[in-house]
Formats: sequence, C-alpha cells, structure tokens
Amino acid sequence: MTTTDKPAQESTLGSPSPDEPGAQTLTLSVGPQHSGSGHMRLIVELDGDIIINAEPDPGYVHRGIEKIIELRNIIRSIPVIERPSIIDASNLNHAWVKAIEELQGVEPPARGQYLRCLLNEMNRIMSHLYWLSIYGVFLGHTTMFMWPLGDRELFIDLAESLTGARITYSYLVPGGVRRDLPQGFAEEAIKRTEYFEKRLDEYENIFFKNPLFTSRAKGVGVLSRQRAIELGATGPTLRGSGVEADLRKDEPYAAYGELDFKVHTRPDGDSYSRVMVHVDEMRESSQLIRQILEKMPSGPVRRKAPIVVPRGEAYSRVESARGECSFYMIGEGGDKPYRARYITGSYRNMAAISAVLQGVRLADMPTSWWSIDYWPVEADR
Amino acid sequence: MSLSHEREDNLIKTLKENFPTDIKDATVMRRSRINVTVAPEKILDIALFLRDKLGFDHPTGVSAVDYNRESRFEIVYHLASIANPAQRDILINLKESVPRNTPKATSLVRIWTGVENFERESIEMFGLQFEGHPRPEKLFLNDNWDGPPPMRKEVRFPTD
Repeated sequence: MTTTDKPAQESTLGSPSPDEPGAQTLTLSVGPQHSGSGHMRLIVELDGDIIINAEPDPGYVHRGIEKIIELRNIIRSIPVIERPSIIDASNLNHAWVKAIEELQGVEPPARGQYLRCLLNEMNRIMSHLYWLSIYGVFLGHTTMFMWPLGDRELFIDLAESLTGARITYSYLVPGGVRRDLPQGFAEEAIKRTEYFEKRLDEYENIFFKNPLFTSRAKGVGVLSRQRAIELGATGPTLRGSGVEADLRKDEPYAAYGELDFKVHTRPDGDSYSRVMVHVDEMRESSQLIRQILEKMPSGPVRRKAPIVVPRGEAYSRVESARGECSFYMIGEGGDKPYRARYITGSYRNMAAISAVLQGVRLADMPTSWWSIDYWPVEADR
Repeated sequence: MSLSHEREDNLIKTLKENFPTDIKDATVMRRSRINVTVAPEKILDIALFLRDKLGFDHPTGVSAVDYNRESRFEIVYHLASIANPAQRDILINLKESVPRNTPKATSLVRIWTGVENFERESIEMFGLQFEGHPRPEKLFLNDNWDGPPPMRKEVRFPTD
C-alpha cells in the first residue's frame, strides 16, 4: 500500500450540534420484515428509547379488492371478501351479504339469521384467540402463544363440521346460509364452549395476572376516550377506552336483537384494558353460542335471492372481531355492484396506532400496537 | 320495526333550517340512514355543525365514487354519533360532488381527525385533491406508482 501526500480532508460527517432539529432523535424503520411489525412498516422516531412519533406505513398486502369486486358477480366475490381477514371470515362475509340483501329487500328466514350469528360468534372467539397468541409472541411468552392457538382448534373443528371449511367458509349467501346444522352439533358445541370457559379461567391465572404481562400493559399505550372517538376507532379498541359501542346492541342485526349479552368496556384505554376487553368478549361469545343453539327456531335456512344488485344505495354495518365492518354499496341493476366501498375495523383503527405509541418505550412497541388488534391485511384490503 | 322516521326527519329538518340554501338534497334512505348532499364550498360549515350541534363526532369512513358518465366524483363522509346514545344507530352520508376534470375538495381532517387516512386513500385511488390535508401522500400504493389512479372507472383489468 502506498501513501499519498494529499492532506486528509476534514470530515463533514461529525456529530451535529445538539441544537440542530432532529439531532437528538433517531428515526427507525420497523418492518415489514420485522417480527414485531406484521405485514406493514412502522416508522418510529425515538428520543432515547421513548417513541415520540410513530407512523404506520401500510400497503404491503394491498390487493385492490374494491376493484376486484366491481368486476365479479356478487356470489363470486364472497371468497374474495373473506380474504382480508381469513381468521374472521364470517363477519366480513356478513357485512357483504347484508348490503346486498338491503338493496334486494330480501330478509333471510329466522333460522338462517341464528346460524349466521352462531358462526359469527365462533369466528369472534377464533379471531380473538389467534390475536391473543400473537400477543404472546410479542411478549416473549411461549405458553401464551401455544395455548390460544391450540384452543382455537376447538372452534375450527366445529366450524368445519358446520360449513365444510376450517377458516374461509363462504357460508353466508344472499338469502340465508348454505346449509343447516349437522347432526350432533349442538351437544358437541355445548361441551366445547363449557370446556373453553374453564380454559379462560386458567388463562386468567397464568397470563392475565402474570406480572410479565401486567407490568408491560397496565398504564402503557393509553388512548383516551375523546381521542378514540375523534380518530374513529372501533371495536375492542373503542370499548377499551371506555365507550360502550357495539353494533350488535346499537343497531341489532340478524338475531342479535333476541339474544341476551353484555357489551364489555374498560375505562382506562391502556394496552391492558384492550386485552381484557377481548378476553371478556370471548367469554360472552362462548355463552352466546349456547344461547343461540337453545333459542334457534326450526324452519328453512335460506330463501331464494336473485343474483342481482338492484339500483340504489345501501350501507351495511356489522360488528366484526376488530370492530365495525361496513359496505357502502351502490347498485345499478346488474349482477355486480357499481361501487362497493369496503371499510374494515382494522382500517379504521390504523389511525389509533400513532396515538397509542406516543410516549411508549421502544421495547413496549410490539405489545402496545398489537393490543389494538390491527390486522394489516384487513386494513389494506 | 317501526316505519316512522321521526328522528331522521328531525335531523334533516334541523339541517335544512340552519343551511337553507346549501343543503342540495336530504333524504331518509331507510331507518337509521340519512343521505345529505351539500354544496362543496359550504361543507366545512355543515360538517362543523354536524359535529358540534348534532353530535356526529365519530367518523366511520370516507368513500369516493366515480360517476364517469356524469363527469363527476362523489365524495361521501360516513358519520356516526357516540355523543348521543339515542342516535347510535344513525349513519349520515354527507355527500359532495366535484367535477371530474378539476377534482378539488376541502379536507375535513380539521373537523374529524379520523378521516385523514380515508382522504389519503381517495387521493391516490381516484386522483382527488383535498385542500388543507396535512399529509397528501400515498397510503397503500407504492411510492413509485406512476400509473393512473386505479379506482377510476376507465382503468380496467388486463383480463377484463
């Protein structure tokens, strides 16, 4: 190696003066290939290890579903509608058929409505369990990852015997549901829900009273009631901030008007509150399944509905696992909608991510934003 | 289900009394659903009135619709009320139309912060412009997307 006699140039890269804007903070790009981010990116600005700003950057799983459903007939769209949240397929499917039925003026028979609620509530539990197990991953709690995923199979099996599919059922069709209860379903469902509620008691002891969880969730990632409302948050996120809003009660649809259940809220708006709202809802859904099976009337499960979207407008609202799922549908008389706007719970709750993460430590970031139950695929659509 | 739409009719009446010339059309779509079409230049005042006087404090989304045969886009704000528990089920579709060749509208982020992402999506998917939007950047599309706004009606799938 030879040396040159060029004088060493003075580096311009030295530390900036501490007074410069941005000199004290560090911007981190978390995801989309990060185990703590999901299928999306979070752009996090840090002061030390405190998050002063966090911006979600979605779109990595955007499929253009609103365009696809403008181009297919309404029956062929059902499996597409379910894709954004395969773990909560039935509730999304419900919003779709509800918008179509509103335009058609078709009312499904009572038994069909009860069967819809049955699958919806099973899906709510399955979705919450899946979410809870990922929460375990983010906490570094292996048992909390394994148990909910294992117990989710209880309901997956039930759904399979009812619909023929484990997760994406396409069970709800305009006019009702595809098929009636199989033999012995009610006895099996009662057994499984009772077992599941015992399991929830065990969860209580091993997870929800565990300092590993409480110390990282209580008082962390607070979303105030006022902020949750103005951001348009929905579902467990809104109820975790103390707002008693649930479309199953506020605008009862299907058979929910005839069922007896409670809307669970927590006043604090922190990660712990949001998690506990999910847990309370699972218990409620479990008892709802038994209630539905008990109250279910006999009769047909489906009424004939045309494959047509009549001219007009409808706005359907359904309480999915992650909050309100709605379709703003405009028909012009063909077999496909002129426009079908698809607004999901996760899409709405995306706005809450920044609010929740402000002031949280970087180490608590995954558990805080995941407590919103933001499902990136459901938001991107 | 009762067939009277008393609450809905009262809301429309209050709106029409306060904005006699700016409400172009207001109808009850069905029980719990109201369509209100307003003049685009007055939407900010009407939105503020809806939020502060009528309690529609909870935005549930924004839709854009391309009526290409009528050469216009319709922007629809979907609004619900948490403040007033008696109208939890009511959803107002606040609509305005902008011409297709100059699709400029006023952003309502300053009224409902929650509409920010929805307006951003309408910008990239329909090529709309929202004046006063704090971050008119791409949301779902790639930053380097240079094709036409994909949700416009003239954009077709290759397999269509």
